[in-house]
Amino acid sequence: MTSPYTGQPAEAAAPAGHAGSSLLADYAAGTAGAVAAWSVETHLAGCGRCRQELSAYADPDRLARNRSAVLVRSALPESRAGRVLRRSGVPDHVLRLLAATPSLRASWLLAVVGVLAVVTVETGFVEQAGPGGPPGLRGLMPFLLVAPLLILASVAAAFAPALDPAHRLAVAAPCSGLTLLLARAVSALAVALIPVICAAFFVPGPPWLPAALLLPSLALCATALAAATVVGPVAAAAGSAVLWALPVVALAATHLPLAVVQWHAQYACAVVLLVAAAVLLVRRDRFEFGWNR
Amino acid sequence: MTLEVHTADVQVRGLSRRYGSTRALDNVDLTVEPGVTGLLGPNGAGKTTLLSILATVNEPDAGEVSVFGLDPRDRAERVAIRRRLGYLPQELGYHRHFTVAAFLDYVAILKEIVNRRQRGEEVARVLAATGLARYARKRISALSGGMRQRLGIAQALLGSPDLLVLDEPTAGLDPEQRLRFRELVSNLPGDPVIVLSTHQADDIAAICPNVIVLLQGQVRFAGTPAELAATATGHVWTAQARDAHAHLSWRGGDSLWRHIGEQPPAGAQIVAATVEDGYLLLSQRAGGQ
Amino acid sequence: MGVQDRLPASGRVSAAPDEPDDAVLLRRVAKGDEGALAVLYDRHAGWLTMRLSRRCGSADVVDHAIQDTFLALWRNAGSFRGNGDVAAFIWGIGIRRLINAIRRESSSRPRLPWRAAERDVVISAEDQVLVGIEHGRLAQALARLSPELRSAIEATVLDGLTCGEAAVLLGVAEGTVKSRCHRARQALRTALADPRLGPETPANRQRAWGTP
Repeated sequence: MTSPYTGQPAEAAAPAGHAGSSLLADYAAGTAGAVAAWSVETHLAGCGRCRQELSAYADPDRLARNRSAVLVRSALPESRAGRVLRRSGVPDHVLRLLAATPSLRASWLLAVVGVLAVVTVETGFVEQAGPGGPPGLRGLMPFLLVAPLLILASVAAAFAPALDPAHRLAVAAPCSGLTLLLARAVSALAVALIPVICAAFFVPGPPWLPAALLLPSLALCATALAAATVVGPVAAAAGSAVLWALPVVALAATHLPLAVVQWHAQYACAVVLLVAAAVLLVRRDRFEFGWNR
Repeated sequence: MTLEVHTADVQVRGLSRRYGSTRALDNVDLTVEPGVTGLLGPNGAGKTTLLSILATVNEPDAGEVSVFGLDPRDRAERVAIRRRLGYLPQELGYHRHFTVAAFLDYVAILKEIVNRRQRGEEVARVLAATGLARYARKRISALSGGMRQRLGIAQALLGSPDLLVLDEPTAGLDPEQRLRFRELVSNLPGDPVIVLSTHQADDIAAICPNVIVLLQGQVRFAGTPAELAATATGHVWTAQARDAHAHLSWRGGDSLWRHIGEQPPAGAQIVAATVEDGYLLLSQRAGGQ
Repeated sequence: MGVQDRLPASGRVSAAPDEPDDAVLLRRVAKGDEGALAVLYDRHAGWLTMRLSRRCGSADVVDHAIQDTFLALWRNAGSFRGNGDVAAFIWGIGIRRLINAIRRESSSRPRLPWRAAERDVVISAEDQVLVGIEHGRLAQALARLSPELRSAIEATVLDGLTCGEAAVLLGVAEGTVKSRCHRARQALRTALADPRLGPETPANRQRAWGTP
């Protein structure tokens, strides 16, 4: 390397010689003086041969261990959504636990969006074609029926053992069953809410409809979770679905489909939500044994 | 009934469990020490129930369980047991769309290995131990049955557990893979307690220094394979034809009939008893009750 | 110390003619070739481990940084523009991953090894050429600096870190790094008394010290 003052780029200024073996040995042992070490490093930047010679001083077991770990970690799938979430601070292990939830997969979400689209379009049709009843509201019944049920389905998928093939392992794991289940249920709920609320904006109805769907959906899911501690996941989900469908259909028959999301209903849903949360809290040990007995 | 607590092992006293009117386990007492213990018995004998109770995923109706001195009825102690546990359930399902590495990573997170680097190293370690390293990127749906079974064993090994509960780990494995399983299980570092179940006597003879025979929910034998074979000494004979004295008969590879019975006829050709003979004799006796 | 061959320095590992060079491997990695990643690891992980270990005494942290480096290479191989040495590219990733790993660790970690014994190493004739040619009078001036000032300069100039990153590496406050760099440069300027040393821009700094 020529004099540093001439400002020539590093490549052209690399020396014609190499670092001596003893200098490299000292560097590897950490006993080279700072200036000598500095020189070695500057030289390493441009010389593959000396890099190779230095590599020989590294502990082979340690290198092998890191190598297999790199190959394993590079084999793990990386989704774009995952990368974004990780950068915003969500810990890696939480993301991977949630990734196993069936209702967070693209195929599930597409199905939900598809069903929503059909129902939303259908309300538009009925609104235009329908004769009697309060203008445009009769057609809301299918939407009011289906939208919260889709959210319930997403949450049920998050805890249904039939959809979590490795649930027996999850039970035997030290990770708390309730925490895992709640994390999955909440993320499934949040993700399913987005298309539903968006669709609610397109449906012909009062402007407060999107917000009014929140409490009933939450209450429905909480009921299913709480009931699952008593009667098991499948019965709980089915029962909750029926509990929602009955009032919606009955009220629609008397030409008041919106009653199921109006003020009285909202109060009722809030009460149901609180009761369900209390039951969940009290019976949370049921999740420690999976769904056995 | 008090349990003497030896914190290096697993003890069970008076364990009972029923499903409806069937008694899956009936007053079972046993002590399991470090090393490999085989649970031998036919389907429906209660092996899976017993293993699931040891793995803390099932509760007994009666009796006491002590795992390393911890009682699974207490919530905090149950979590402590689970931290030292590796479990292979009988019908383990896999997320089909997961790759091998992703599945093991998932189970490692369930086992609370939160650090990414440690997790990667641990997954790499069990992949190497079960010979699955080059399948790390393969989807589980593309694996054969034997490889999936190895994956099940690999996930149980994550975290180097002190208690390994394996339900039918050799099912679906070909003889070469069984050999590798035997080597793997005999050479685990840290001397864990390993309890595995099987309905094949030759697995027991080859892998397990300790055997427990479970029939109709009750322990009929606990000891070494040699002792199990010895229970049938003098009760096994060969002949050219069938023999009415025998409880069990079958034709061997050398076209001689092999008979097992309580009273061999006078002058019968008595042969050395194997582990399987001992097991079959016990089954016969138990079936008679 | 044997006689060294007068080989031209090259950015490539002196490999057999049919082994692909680093840039080719990196392109393959960008396309998802896992085998290429393994080859790159085998070539570069060794020296990277040694070099990073000189900056951080904790083997666990260095291991974490090494793994993160090659993972970053796996994910971002496409960002290499082919306009430089692959080894330098890897070093740039590696030192920053080390900084991240140090940040993640608790504040208690072993001190840097370069604070260790600064004995008088007897340098061979060839090495004197190496050291002398690279730094000339600068080497003597550097040797006269106190270790704190020297390590600050090394982190900011040789490793090309920002003051914030250097602060994490050295375990001191950012302001301390800035003032030490300033004092080091003043001390060196005084020692060299060279008016040709221009203003302290990064480009000028790098040219002056000849780092890649």
